[in-house]
Amino acid sequence: MVKETLFGTRVRRLAILVVSVIAAVVLGYRYTHQPRYLVEKTDPAAVAEGRKIALNGLDGVTACAHCHGQNGEGNQELGYPRLAGLHPKYIAKQLRDFARDPMDIGVKVDPISRDYEKTPRVYKDLTIYSPGIRRDPMMNPIAKALSAKDIYNVSNYYASLPFSAKPEPVDFETLERGHELAVRGKPEYLMPRCNACHGPNGEGFGEHFPPLAGQPPKYIISQINKWQNGDRDNDQFAMMKNTANLLTDGNKVNVARYYSNKSHSVNEE
Amino acid sequence: MKQIFSALFTVVTALSLLSPAQAEPLDPLEVRPTLVRPQVSLPTNLITVPVVNPGEYFVPPSYEDIPDDKTGDMIRWGRNIFVNTQEYAPRYAGNGLNCVSCHLSEGRQPYAAPLWASYPIYPVARNKAKRVVTFQQRIQSCFKYSMDGIAPTVDAPEMDALVTYAKWLSTGAPVGVALPGRGFASIKKTKDPSPINGEIIYNTRCALCHGANGEGQKNRNGVGYMFPPLWGMDSFNRGAGLNKVKTAAQFIKANMPLGSGYTLNDDEALDVAAYMWIHFRPDDPRTSFFMNRFSPKPGGGH
Ligand code: HEC
Ligand code: HEC
Repeated sequence: MVKETLFGTRVRRLAILVVSVIAAVVLGYRYTHQPRYLVEKTDPAAVAEGRKIALNGLDGVTACAHCHGQNGEGNQELGYPRLAGLHPKYIAKQLRDFARDPMDIGVKVDPISRDYEKTPRVYKDLTIYSPGIRRDPMMNPIAKALSAKDIYNVSNYYASLPFSAKPEPVDFETLERGHELAVRGKPEYLMPRCNACHGPNGEGFGEHFPPLAGQPPKYIISQINKWQNGDRDNDQFAMMKNTANLLTDGNKVNVARYYSNKSHSVNEE
Repeated sequence: MKQIFSALFTVVTALSLLSPAQAEPLDPLEVRPTLVRPQVSLPTNLITVPVVNPGEYFVPPSYEDIPDDKTGDMIRWGRNIFVNTQEYAPRYAGNGLNCVSCHLSEGRQPYAAPLWASYPIYPVARNKAKRVVTFQQRIQSCFKYSMDGIAPTVDAPEMDALVTYAKWLSTGAPVGVALPGRGFASIKKTKDPSPINGEIIYNTRCALCHGANGEGQKNRNGVGYMFPPLWGMDSFNRGAGLNKVKTAAQFIKANMPLGSGYTLNDDEALDVAAYMWIHFRPDDPRTSFFMNRFSPKPGGGH
């Protein structure tokens, strides 16, 4: 005679116990090991506010759309960067760096000679990283005029915009050389590949690594030049500074045009 | 008198110029502010890194030069396995890493155990196995320990492909010579590695990519790792080369933070390596479950 209890027989109780333990383990595992997809959440209220600034500007601030395009797609001919679909925190950081006073940090950065034989040593800074400086005659005054709230709003607005790159035709040789840099880097000069940080296809990764695909080649080249001469100095651990210093002028063109040939879309179904 | 002093002064300055700039071992409390936040002051701690001159390291043939024949297909397959082990050899990989996670730039990067420097010197005598091992056996042990998986047999097609790829990468490399860039950078310790210091360095310089808990970061689509895990179930196991504090430090010194190799000095590299080492990782397949729990962790010594 089997004893009846609230949860049925002893066997059934045991079964319930086992099943619930398994379920707890599975659910617990799923809960603690959730895949961290990089969905950039944007704040709808900020998007609406940011839209006004982006399209109409503020007092003393021209509309962003003027240079960066109606949909934040950038300007290929003039080399203004695309902003649509970038990570909101990335855009906000760049604006803060644009607004920062280019403090005299006491170090004059000379452009590194491109002739490798004439550069016997590279001095890498161990402890001092710049607080983040981007010098740009156009963006500095604009960013200074924006309040913290404005920066939050516009960066959310641009992060929420959909974007599809229009791959440009690029000749075979340039593509091949650009591809080489993007997926293999220059190991003989200890330079890592671009895709290690900028995403498997240059589509960007997280808040620190912006997309390269879909950026105007002119913009990419100008930024690498700025890293080389110190006008842009706001990367993490001087990673981009070190990398930029290893790029020759030919490399810059090849890799920038390689990425302009990539198809890429964000925020679109 | 004055002349003697000025002569002395010159000698002392000359000597101080000759000796390389060396970081003072800092106390952790002092390290914190300088590492966490950028400082606005003159650089005080410069290390010199020899610029790489053309021809300093062996340059393996370029990908575009792979021949268009059967061997070429094998080379390309080997390269694919090497770069994306998760997709091309999933039955042998037990964790989330690929061969490139440690052998950077598709096995081409000097001081990241490049294949072009290792293929020509095999077979060699190894301590771990206490016998002469062939290249195939070396690859097997990377699968067993670094990939925490199952070693392909010596006659497995994947093994063939990997060996063909390595052989092709070392086309033109002198046989039996230790080429510059082989293995990892050398390292010298001046104090015992401190995981506490290592934690500070990890949080300020590595967590950005490898995650706050060393769990790495998955790709956007959730498949495979963009930044590989440094410890935990998806990382290499307790028998791996990188589980040795010294080897890990040698790897980190030359290659990490990615793109800013050589920015950590030897002691800092050892500190982070020690911090990596104290964390949990999969069991060493050579010993039993209980031995893995209760015996001291391998790799901590020198
Ligand atoms: C967790 C990091 C890691 C991963 C992943 C890894 N390896 Fe290794 N590999 C090492 C270390 C560490 C060494 C030891 C180098 C030394 O002893 O100088 C090594 C050495 C080697 C060597 C011998 C190099 C030499 O110079 O003697 C070969 C060949 C090799 N690995 C192949 C592979 C292959 C193939 C894969 C992919 C299945 C792989 N490795 C994955 C870390 C790794
Ligand atoms: C810019 C991002 C970045 C930073 C910062 C960084 N790493 Fe890495 N790390 C990588 C990438 C990417 C790889 C894999 C190599 C590849 O895929 O090309 C890697 C691989 C490794 C590996 C071998 C693979 C594994 O999972 O065990 C170790 C060990 C490692 N990193 C340690 C460190 C340490 C320690 C630091 C801090 C000093 C650090 N990394 C900082 C990007 C980074």
